[in-house]
Amino acid sequence: MPAYHSAFNAPGGRMAGNMGIIPIKSKIRGPAPPAPEDQEDVIDEAIDFFRANCLFRNFEIKGPGDRTLIYLTLFIQECLQKAAKTATLADGQRQLMTLAVSNFPIPGDAGFPLNTMFEKPANRADADLLRAYLTQCRQELVTRFTQRLYEQDKPSKWWMSFSKRKFMNIASVGTTM
Amino acid sequence: MTNHLPAVVIDNGTGYTKFGYSGNNDPQFIIPTSIAVRDSVGQAGSARGQTVTGNLASKRGIEDLDFFIGDEAVANAKTYSVHNPVRHGQVENWDLMEKFHQACLFQYLRCEPEDHHFLLTEPPLNAPENREYTAEIMFESFGVKGLYIAVQAVLALAASWTSGKGDQTLTGTVIDSGDGVTHVIPVAEGYVIGSSIKHIPIAGRDITYFVQQLLRERENSIPPEETMEVARRIKEMYSYVCPDIVREFRKYDVDPATWFKRHEFVHSVTKKPYHVDIGFERFLGPEIFFNPEIASSDFLTPLPEVVDGVIQSCPIDTRRGLYKNIVLSGGSTMYKDFGKRLQRDIKRFTDDRLRASETLAQHNLKMANSQDQVKAGQLEVKVVSHKKQRYAVWFGGSLLADTAEFYNCCHTKAQYEEYGPSIARYNKVFGSML
Repeated sequence: MPAYHSAFNAPGGRMAGNMGIIPIKSKIRGPAPPAPEDQEDVIDEAIDFFRANCLFRNFEIKGPGDRTLIYLTLFIQECLQKAAKTATLADGQRQLMTLAVSNFPIPGDAGFPLNTMFEKPANRADADLLRAYLTQCRQELVTRFTQRLYEQDKPSKWWMSFSKRKFMNIASVGTTM
Repeated sequence: MTNHLPAVVIDNGTGYTKFGYSGNNDPQFIIPTSIAVRDSVGQAGSARGQTVTGNLASKRGIEDLDFFIGDEAVANAKTYSVHNPVRHGQVENWDLMEKFHQACLFQYLRCEPEDHHFLLTEPPLNAPENREYTAEIMFESFGVKGLYIAVQAVLALAASWTSGKGDQTLTGTVIDSGDGVTHVIPVAEGYVIGSSIKHIPIAGRDITYFVQQLLRERENSIPPEETMEVARRIKEMYSYVCPDIVREFRKYDVDPATWFKRHEFVHSVTKKPYHVDIGFERFLGPEIFFNPEIASSDFLTPLPEVVDGVIQSCPIDTRRGLYKNIVLSGGSTMYKDFGKRLQRDIKRFTDDRLRASETLAQHNLKMANSQDQVKAGQLEVKVVSHKKQRYAVWFGGSLLADTAEFYNCCHTKAQYEEYGPSIARYNKVFGSML
């Protein structure tokens, strides 16, 4: 039984490069299509699968959903590294939110670690869309993830123990910290 | 049948030697297969005619009695040099092995070898020469009444009869996982199918290492010199096999109180107690059998896939029997639900294959303009777990040596004196080879 895959791998959705613009449930402004409130979206998936998937070194990409999943998984890893230095939930929320909106590379950029698997967006408009989408996803993920990560106002050790794991032998998505 | 004293059953494993009398449920002794002897300094010195070491034994000229085996050997590791005469299941040092047997019989079991029949075990694919050496030691040094050398995998199959779940057959796939290595051994009607045996470099020790690594990433209360021992204890006491890791993580999130455990350990030297929280390693440890990728980077094939491959490489008329009777043996197969998970995963492989061949056959029929429906037959996959798994080989030996036929199959002392050690090359159950 290999690593866990996204349920949003069906082709036909909107794409930027070869990454899917998967619907998410979000109150944050951005280009992502809205997802039904009562179902799990790709962000729930990423958080849920993270502890299992980050143990794996190999991951077979089966569709656009998997690329988004990989991106978010690696971003969670960045969050954990950042969260290690935070003391309280409020502090963590602030710092992680800064991390989410700070300068980060998108597929095709020089600092992006997964350029072998992700395609560069075809034109300027797509690149802008992708950046906006990823920013929205990152913010939404931080909002939900901090609720899970912090326990009694400090980062739970049951999550922090996974901070040194390297999913696919990569430690981050290249955000400048 | 005349009255016999019970036979002595000895199973020399790489890690532990299990021995005791036949007919018993458990081995009388389970000791590490280690022997501690004086360093070669002493031996070299006496060879030159001078006593270099000042110990009592060498002064009296009884150096060859100056050794320990088992737990005592481990305890004396500081002043003696400890050897393991068995490596990878095969005996490597016959002199030490003879001493080891000597101490087993006279110090531990305290039996009179001339009065007993003996059942010894050998790993699959053991060289006939090794069997001859064993016979030599047993008949020449100990003068045993009769000797039978049985293949470990076959004994493990026999041990599974007690589970009451399968028929009493000697056809089946044995999965033998100890501390160092895991074997998958197909056996058809008592014959080991040697060409299909597979070894997997994942076993108890690797699980311990992995648990240790997980603990190191999280717990800082464990003294560094104790991590290995703590990891081993946690592995043995708390580990189980889960059906699905993501779902298992969710369970821990929903109900932390029942799943997370806390164990109090005591430092072996300072006697200070310390707490260790036990979490995901409970199911992640044994998971490396099913997803080796998470712990090792050089071996990536999951155990169920290996088992399926082994059975597929066997003669076609034996495969059904091999799938139907997959038998577990050895300490590292003791995790709760290990058998269930293995059975489910192997079943997935066989079902996929059956479905594929079904559609293929259906397609061919359509090409031939036939309206018939193809339905593939069911293939039964069954993994047998039982209570005696930990010492399955010894227990199987104990069962076999308790039957009347055993005494007919033994090589006797008279035969040995007539023909010599070569009798051990042949096995009576195989009939007319002698």
